[in-house]
Amino acid sequence: MSKWIPLWLHKLGSPPTFYRFAGTLRPWFLALALIAGAMALYGGLVLAPADYQQGDAYRIIFIHVPSAWMGLFIYGVMAVASFIALVWRIKLAETVAMESAPIGAAFTFITLVTGSLWGKPMWGTWWTWDARLTSELVLLFLYLGVIGLYHAFEDRRQGARAAAFLAIIGIINVPIVHFSVNWWNTLHQGSTVRILGPSKISTDMLWPLLTMMVATKLYYVASLFGRVRADLLELEGGKEWVRRIATGDDA
Amino acid sequence: MEGCGVNQASVSRACAAVLRRDLTLAWRRRGDIAMPVLYALIVATLFPFALGPEDALLQRIAGGVVLVTVLLAMLLALDAMFRSDIEDGSLEQLVLAPQPLALMLAMKILAHWLTTALPLILISPLLAGMLHLPLPVMGVLMLALLLATPMLSLLGAVLVALTAGTRRSGMLLALMLLPLCVPVVIFAAGAVAAAQQGLPWVAPIAWLGAALALALVLAPLACAAALRIALDA
Repeated sequence: MSKWIPLWLHKLGSPPTFYRFAGTLRPWFLALALIAGAMALYGGLVLAPADYQQGDAYRIIFIHVPSAWMGLFIYGVMAVASFIALVWRIKLAETVAMESAPIGAAFTFITLVTGSLWGKPMWGTWWTWDARLTSELVLLFLYLGVIGLYHAFEDRRQGARAAAFLAIIGIINVPIVHFSVNWWNTLHQGSTVRILGPSKISTDMLWPLLTMMVATKLYYVASLFGRVRADLLELEGGKEWVRRIATGDDA
Repeated sequence: MEGCGVNQASVSRACAAVLRRDLTLAWRRRGDIAMPVLYALIVATLFPFALGPEDALLQRIAGGVVLVTVLLAMLLALDAMFRSDIEDGSLEQLVLAPQPLALMLAMKILAHWLTTALPLILISPLLAGMLHLPLPVMGVLMLALLLATPMLSLLGAVLVALTAGTRRSGMLLALMLLPLCVPVVIFAAGAVAAAQQGLPWVAPIAWLGAALALALVLAPLACAAALRIALDA
């Protein structure tokens, strides 16, 4: 037991094994993500009661908040993968880190767009220089910086390592930015969902939110697996296992 | 380090040599030192044209405008920090040298700060005066710049080192520097704004100082690591 888990993990780190592993799991993750997403949308848009203060407009929370969580979560995954890539020089970790960045940037972008759509009826403005909004915008710039640096290098692996380093600098920077913009200006409502202690949200609204959170996580894994598979094929272009897939000898 | 035959004296000699070399190079091309200053002067001049010449408005934005102008001027000069050394291969010699790379890079960053940021700090009272910043606030602005510009040089050096292996990096550098310089700008401008409103301004200055102390220690190490990654082809 204690022996075969590390062995299995080591094997998973090799591109052909991961390619097959991700190929098998990806449809399942995608299907579960779609089902959970549909359930959450039904629960959030139809079953959940209207808010006593914000009316139906609050329902955008079911997209906005899970996306915001994903924006940070994916940055965390990217930083951890970057750390692994730099310390142990594992090619797969580089690929995971670099392919996470566009997905995270997309979630952060969705958060900003839904946030401004929500802000218009509630605060009366599309955009305000509030602490959380600004942190989110800075997070988007961090993602774009990582993506930009990755593509600036001609050598893909060198670009991945440089961008991984930037991702690690960024994760030190995120709390500093958050602290400093909080000090600077704040208007955004406080957290309503807490892991420790009771949440300040009704259960009818909480379960679609949490289901959507699960759905976005599953979608992220499915999307990441698809992207990493494509990237591995490109990186390992001349290798034997890719040739076998290309010629159709290997399913 | 003793094992490699590198002692205290040789490290400090190497530091002095790197610093002297970079300062000499900068002095031989004195025109380049003037460029960021001219740029800052031009940008600061454009603001009254765009916003109108009312004293009250200019006075209110003066501190922020000077800070952002200095930041942009430094960004313009950052790109050149290691460029010529990469082109003639002397940076690779520095990487191969037995002396700790982080210290050598710290000297290069110091030389860069002395040749680009210091002239900008010296010219900043003129820029602020053009925008009618009250005289008593000028000291706080200079102090904020004195703490903020080394931060920008140090953070910028890490990013420049990361882009050392790429062809064109101007815009990319701006994109990467923006998230890192947000806290610096907030605290520096916060101190100036507080001083302008007659509020205590020591707290943001103290935060800047603390951040600078941290960056002074960590940034050269990060810069050395980044350079090793970027040059490792």
